[in-house]
Amino acid sequence: MNPYVPILVLTALGAAFAVLSVAGSFLIGPRRHNRAKLDAYECGIEPTPHAVGGGRFPVKYYLVAMLFIVFDIESVFLMPYAVAFGKLGLFALVEMVLFMVTVFVAYAYMWRRGGLDWD
Amino acid sequence: MEFGRDSIWLVLAKAALIFVFLVITTLLAIWAERRIVGRMQSRPGPNRTGPFGLLQALADGLKLMLKEDLVPRRVDRLVYLLAPVIAGTTCFMAFAVVPFGPEVTIPFTDTRTALQLTDLPIAVLFVLAVASMGVYGILLAGWSSGSTYPLLGGVRSSAQVISYEIAMGLSLIAVFLFAGSMSTSRIVAEQAEIWYVFPLFVSFAIYCISMVGETNRAPFDLPEAEGELVGGFHTEYSSMKFAMFFLGEYINMITVSAIATTLFLGGWQAPWGISQINDGMFNEGWWPLLWFVGKLWAFLFVFIWLRGTLPRLRYDQFMRFGWRGLIPVALVWVVFISAWRQLLDSGVDARRYVIIVCGAVLALLVVWIVIDSIRMARGGEAPSDRSAPTAEDGPIDPFAGGFPVPALPGQQLLRTAGPSGPVLGVDTVVTGEATVRTADDEGPADGRDSQEVRGG
Amino acid sequence: MTPVQHLAFLETGMHRTASEAGFSAPEVDYAAVSPMLVIFGAALLAVLVEAFVPRRFRYAVQVPLTLLSLAGAFGAVVWYSTTGDHLQTAGSMVSDPTGGGVSTLEGAVVIDSVSLFLQGTLLLLAFLSVLIMSERNLDSGGSFTPAASAVPGSPGEEQALRAGFCQSEIYPLLLFTVGGMLLFPAAADLLTMFIALEVLSLPLYLMCGLARRRRLLSQEASLKYFLLGAFSSAFFLYGAALLYGYAGTVRLSGIATAITVPTTDAQLGRDWLMLTGIALVAVGLLFKIGAAPFHSWTPDVYQGAPTPVTGFMAAATKVAAFGALLRVLYVAFSGARWDWEPALWGVAILTMVVGSVIAIVQTDVKRMLAYSSIAHAGFLLTGLLAVDVSGLRSVLFYLVAYGFTTIGAFALVTLVRDSGEEGQIGGEATHLSQWAGLGRRSPLLAATFTLFLLSFAGIPLTSGFSGKFAVFAAAVSHGAWVLALIGVLASLVAAFFYVRVIVLMYFSEPTSGGTAVVAPGAATVFAVVVAAAVTVVLGVAPSLLLDLTRDAVFLP
Repeated sequence: MNPYVPILVLTALGAAFAVLSVAGSFLIGPRRHNRAKLDAYECGIEPTPHAVGGGRFPVKYYLVAMLFIVFDIESVFLMPYAVAFGKLGLFALVEMVLFMVTVFVAYAYMWRRGGLDWD
Repeated sequence: MEFGRDSIWLVLAKAALIFVFLVITTLLAIWAERRIVGRMQSRPGPNRTGPFGLLQALADGLKLMLKEDLVPRRVDRLVYLLAPVIAGTTCFMAFAVVPFGPEVTIPFTDTRTALQLTDLPIAVLFVLAVASMGVYGILLAGWSSGSTYPLLGGVRSSAQVISYEIAMGLSLIAVFLFAGSMSTSRIVAEQAEIWYVFPLFVSFAIYCISMVGETNRAPFDLPEAEGELVGGFHTEYSSMKFAMFFLGEYINMITVSAIATTLFLGGWQAPWGISQINDGMFNEGWWPLLWFVGKLWAFLFVFIWLRGTLPRLRYDQFMRFGWRGLIPVALVWVVFISAWRQLLDSGVDARRYVIIVCGAVLALLVVWIVIDSIRMARGGEAPSDRSAPTAEDGPIDPFAGGFPVPALPGQQLLRTAGPSGPVLGVDTVVTGEATVRTADDEGPADGRDSQEVRGG
Repeated sequence: MTPVQHLAFLETGMHRTASEAGFSAPEVDYAAVSPMLVIFGAALLAVLVEAFVPRRFRYAVQVPLTLLSLAGAFGAVVWYSTTGDHLQTAGSMVSDPTGGGVSTLEGAVVIDSVSLFLQGTLLLLAFLSVLIMSERNLDSGGSFTPAASAVPGSPGEEQALRAGFCQSEIYPLLLFTVGGMLLFPAAADLLTMFIALEVLSLPLYLMCGLARRRRLLSQEASLKYFLLGAFSSAFFLYGAALLYGYAGTVRLSGIATAITVPTTDAQLGRDWLMLTGIALVAVGLLFKIGAAPFHSWTPDVYQGAPTPVTGFMAAATKVAAFGALLRVLYVAFSGARWDWEPALWGVAILTMVVGSVIAIVQTDVKRMLAYSSIAHAGFLLTGLLAVDVSGLRSVLFYLVAYGFTTIGAFALVTLVRDSGEEGQIGGEATHLSQWAGLGRRSPLLAATFTLFLLSFAGIPLTSGFSGKFAVFAAAVSHGAWVLALIGVLASLVAAFFYVRVIVLMYFSEPTSGGTAVVAPGAATVFAVVVAAAVTVVLGVAPSLLLDLTRDAVFLP
């Protein structure tokens, strides 16, 4: 059997549970209509106007997403290197250190320019 | 160990058992959390439902099931309904590759099978991938709610998870380096002689910190910072949809604990001392299940302990700690441990120099981070180019704009102004925070309840 | 089962003992790739300078660092191509049809005579561009924005302007771009080529958005360039994937073999796979050189980008992209030349016609030069379509001639400025009407600009003439006289609008005020003088450069 099949089985189990629970509470739960309940919850004050399909949020998060991609790709490169380390030898070590130094240069720039400050 | 030999019935049974194990562990964890935190706060905690209040979590779950299933007007309906399902589904997936024990004989049969659903050559990578997929649930929930607090809570939470995921991924690299594999069963087997927590202590420490950040648990539970964001990304969710997020959070907690056990604490292997008894008797058969669950609960206890002990971080502190502290240390550690392995393999005895050089770099880095943190904590301008507006010194009127504002570093509150009654001082704010935290400890279902009251 | 027994059962094939073989480190010819190493190393250093040197010293550190590294890399190119026997001389070409050169980094990079020629050209062009970019006499703080992240017109920008900041990141960005450009024509497989394409493009997108004045226009240009550039990169990558599917390799020589002698099942009868792949890869590259119908970004981006960057982009990007196009078409796709030649004929004709005709109606100097650059891409394609060594030589020569002239012309555009009532200097006066009568007020500038325009038009005794002669001669000698004829006609049309500007400068009444010519610093003067000198010398004695291209041949 393909080793991924059990994962699918467990996933299907989890999905079935999640769907059934959500559907179940929809069927079982009481319905007491009240207009105020359908408003966005903002601690009782009049809800702020909100763009349909998501509002605006600080561009800072975008920066975090970009940084995440940079460093995640770095660790993606490091993982196979670590697994195959014994076979690769000194050459791979040197190359990997060079690679990490290169990323570190960008990291230092980002740090100094306040890219890592969250204000 | 061979995987993929099990019959489909065995696979189904194992999957069902894992599912049940996770759900029961979650219920127990909720109960344990409330009891332990209660003890830490000198109160009994839930003790009415069942013996020692053991059934409290179950009762809460049933109550949630019977609550009204609200779908607010401005939500993006499909995504809004999909998000809790994603959160409730992905959290189970990672456990497919967690080894509970070695091969055992199933009672009353001759079938031998591993106490592990399956294993992959890239099992740990799979766990990381599934952990990232869980972020979709959070982000989509916040995005689709059509409301400000959930949106902010959602992006906050995603930013937090992905930030700490980097440190987590980097900390695991040293484990792969030593084990030469990403397969979980193989990593456990490689720890027969020594658990990786000892040689790779730095990795273990980074992993432990980032796993708390990754699961949005105290002191890193910023997405649920009630004072700022109400309930965070799940503010607009009620009934079982809310329960899915809750379940997801706890199962994620169990998952990262299980992974920590597997990668650093020798997985199902018995602790040193016990493992020597009777030629490794306690490392065979069904015994390892005990060790595994024990180690798992040790981690869960630490999670609860942290929550009962530490105050929540500010968001900027949290992000700074992840990006400026954990990541550089993790990177330098990877370089150090690679060089170390290289020397071990090549047989050249230059270890002393590697230790000296890398130790010096690591020490410098740590010193720098500490200096940096102190400088930031003192309110000094970070060495950046941004010309942030500096706070004017001297007393300020906290009600100048009509709203109470706290004093910035270097400022003093003017104790005369204020539209009505006593002026809000710093002390009052702190007390207010403490009140909020105590209210939180009343349990999730109750919190939900009060919200419904407010909503209705 | 004990853990040790357990270990024996493990099926995963990964083992960590060092004794196991199966991996050998790739050979790296460090001398051959030294120019790129110098540039990339300097780029990293420049990033660190940005990070750690105080703001007021950054300009003073960055400019010498950039110039030194470009000069050092050029020295490395010259040193490598003149010493040693890795590059065979013309005599030995007979015995060795591959022509010499080295293939290094597991065959991912080929340093042959064409690579070296283009790398040298690129480094010289970049050197001149840096001189022009470092100009600070025209605007206090240089031609780049003081704070790129500030919203145009915001108080933040105002503050940065008053503090006299400038965004000195332009220098590391330029170094990264140049590094990518050096690799682009030397890449011997499609993946390396794609990486080079991205490395050269991404910093360019940013550089386009850094103009000090008219920042919204500049940012718009940057975004347009980025979106369309990303689109074309996707084309290139998809084409590379299809070719990999066809040939089973991304190595150019391997693709060439698969096209010439299809062997496997995947190759026999799968011409559509190969042809689609070739078409998509070519689209990606034709976008970069700005050939019609993939030219629509050119005018907007050339107009919006800071003028020194426009000059650099127009000259250097064209050199690098043509180098890559030449290598792909000549080395990898030459076996299918009967399939792609007709299509490229169409592209070449369209490019020449579109560039020349639309340029006539332009009223903005930078846009006019942009359309002229499109037309020149068409002329270059004419030479390229000869598909043999004479075509290669003519294109290489044309690229040098065009590159220097372009940089000089754009440098002069930076000098002509708006001026207010009280004589304060504003932004660049790019509308053609503002150039009227410039010949009377600043004859030197007008004369130099005239020289460049004449060279663009291909008037004898300028480098443009030698270049055009070379490409058309190459085309005619391979029977593509129709193409050459259209080229000559297009040149005539193009000459019309070049001459119109000359007439405007010398024979029109100057508009009442509003335009001033600012005296540039020594660096810009030097760059313009060099550009003008090259334009004249290559016109008078083209053989000086043609001799250098004599040995030009690709190493597959």
